[in-house]
Amino acid sequence: MTISLAVPDVLVARARSGDLDALEALYRAFETPVYTLALRMLRSPEDAEDVLQETFLEVMKSIRGYRGEGHLWGWVRQIASSKALMRLRRDRVRHTEELDEESAAGKPGAGAVPERIDLERAFEQLSATSRAVVWLHDVEGYTHEEIAKQLGKTVSFSKSQLARAHVRLRRLLEAEGATG
Amino acid sequence: MRHGTMDELLALRAGEGSAWARDHVGSCAACQAELDALYQRIARLRALPPRRPARDRWPALRATLRAEQRGRRVRWSVWSVAAAAGITAFIALRPVWSNRLDAAELTRVKQQSAALEAELGRYDPDARVTSGRSAVLAAALEDRIAVIDGALEWSRAAQAPRPGDLIKLWQQRVDLMQRLVSVRVSRAAYEGL
Repeated sequence: MTISLAVPDVLVARARSGDLDALEALYRAFETPVYTLALRMLRSPEDAEDVLQETFLEVMKSIRGYRGEGHLWGWVRQIASSKALMRLRRDRVRHTEELDEESAAGKPGAGAVPERIDLERAFEQLSATSRAVVWLHDVEGYTHEEIAKQLGKTVSFSKSQLARAHVRLRRLLEAEGATG
Repeated sequence: MRHGTMDELLALRAGEGSAWARDHVGSCAACQAELDALYQRIARLRALPPRRPARDRWPALRATLRAEQRGRRVRWSVWSVAAAAGITAFIALRPVWSNRLDAAELTRVKQQSAALEAELGRYDPDARVTSGRSAVLAAALEDRIAVIDGALEWSRAAQAPRPGDLIKLWQQRVDLMQRLVSVRVSRAAYEGL
């Protein structure tokens, strides 16, 4: 996702002073990309909304310490991805991930996919960790080193997750006959 | 013939592929197609439409922020009131503390004076051979001490002598006594006593 919105410095300065109108403007600017990031990683709209709220609470709490280095979106995205990954690490999501993997592999006619499947739905069938790695690496442009650091894993883990995810995506799409 | 793995294709895409992988993909139509598909897949992932939350979370965030801002103001108010109360108490109690401090200081200088008196008693001027200059200096100091003693006597007779005035007198007395001790002790040392 390409974020073309540039936030004026004066708006950031007002937000840093606790100006609610400026903070709302920041929220409106980044609401959609943060929610999309969280939803792609977590799949659950409720979890994504929670991450959206947690992210902006953190942004509003920490914006006084934001030094203005780099694009503001990069800073907000870092907070959002951290919040989403924290949620991934929770037992509930981990459990769901395991179920995803088992259900995908263990159903009768494993590998069978719905008649109409597109990339978005194929992506949603990936495990939570795979979704996170694919989205952060391929879409948001994170390096494997950055992802590994955020996940608390090795670079090799991040690379292997990405490769496995692409193999799975290819199979899901091939099975349906879709391109890509 | 071995084809490139997904790891190798991803590495090629990242510009990190091995020489073998580069050569192979360049000459293998299947792997070239696989690499193209990988590029397309990633491009399509990036082109997925953004999603918007079903609910507007801003009202809840704003309410939280306002509550925090109010909390900060209340905390500041509490601190302000506490600080004002502290300053008021300090001003109100300052005379009490001041009196206590004055009494302690008066006791201290009186004890200092008594100690010096005791020290002087160890050097009997009549038993020492002193120079004329030292004798004159000692006599002058004793005269001034006598004047101070007179003033202290007068202060004791007063109904309510101010502690600050008494302390000053006693401090002057201690100062003169120290000089007197110094004159007598120096002389004693000079005489080898």
